[in-house]
Amino acid sequence: MDLTPEPNMDDEAVGRLSFDPKGALDAEDGAVLTRLARAVGAVDPVPEGLVERSLFAITLAGLEAELMEAVYLDAPLAGVRGAAAAARADDAAPAEAKTITFTHDSLTVMITLSPSAGGKVRIDGWAAPAAGLDVELHRPGVDVLTTASDEDGRFAFDSVERGRASLVVRRTDGGGGAVSTPIIEL
Amino acid sequence: MTGSREALPDVDGSGLTLGDRAAIALTEYRAGNHQALGDLVREATPLLWHTVRAQGVDRDAADDVVQSTWVALVRHAETIAEPKAVLKWLLVTAKRAAWEAVRKHRDDEKRRTELPDDSPEHPMALPANDPPPDAEVLRDERDRILWTSLQKLPGRCQELLRLVSLADRPDYRYISAAIGMPMGSIGSTRGRCLAKLRTILDEQGDFSWT
Repeated sequence: MDLTPEPNMDDEAVGRLSFDPKGALDAEDGAVLTRLARAVGAVDPVPEGLVERSLFAITLAGLEAELMEAVYLDAPLAGVRGAAAAARADDAAPAEAKTITFTHDSLTVMITLSPSAGGKVRIDGWAAPAAGLDVELHRPGVDVLTTASDEDGRFAFDSVERGRASLVVRRTDGGGGAVSTPIIEL
Repeated sequence: MTGSREALPDVDGSGLTLGDRAAIALTEYRAGNHQALGDLVREATPLLWHTVRAQGVDRDAADDVVQSTWVALVRHAETIAEPKAVLKWLLVTAKRAAWEAVRKHRDDEKRRTELPDDSPEHPMALPANDPPPDAEVLRDERDRILWTSLQKLPGRCQELLRLVSLADRPDYRYISAAIGMPMGSIGSTRGRCLAKLRTILDEQGDFSWT
């Protein structure tokens, strides 16, 4: 599509315009576009939190961890969500414990989420095989929490805020690559 | 800030554009500095959002498409040959992912459609896009005049102007190229779409837009 200015407009028509259609951008153009940008933003606003969700997704991608798969035992698990579904603010907070299992190659990680004081969440995890593992809890906009699994492969985060999160698991001895869970809703 | 900023051109001596900042962000990210990319995500997400939405993607799907576009940038950070083209790369990636989302949505709709409705005598209607965005939220009279004037332009002109309004002037060529309306060498000239809009606005009365 040709975007050059209209070439066939006669001089009389051009003379009635407040601008030269073949001319360079002027201050009125700038003002119109600035106003248009505001209108575009008002009519179809960018969803709240999309920037934060994008930043979180970028951070996880930058870890270059292999993604674990959530194991669906019966029904699809309420805790594992598509990004958009997880973003919806009206999700009811889970009131009771739930368990999610993730696998990647030979590694299996099972976590149980249960309510803790102050509306927070306790995460109890168990990894097999029970090699020494460093477990990181990544969440949008907050520092990474790190813990280590014990000799039985157990680990826990006592009391964390609800919201989106991903666990990243690495072998303490540095062997193998890191693996991460899909984003879950605590 | 590292020396990479000096290596990039300062457009017209009038400061950096979004396209320049995108190039810097990628260069910095490759060097292990992630701050500039975070700033770019904040600044350019509205442009990506409206690029995706212009393809007829619903809000939930568009949310995912924008996130996956940013993830794709990080995953391809080392292989994007020309950092200066990163803004165009983002726009094209977002647009393709949006088309894919629309195609998938249509396939899902087809699977749910009863066979008798899908005959040549009764062609299946394509799923309607979201209803046109509602201008009711625009309270200012000039905003409403501008919005209704925009609706009188061809669809692709509307899309181009909505998107260029969200970027910097020298970036128009990247945006127009990314949405398939190359402007050639016209960088600072008022394009035909903007000229048409100005003409329609002139017909609405003697408003000052500055």
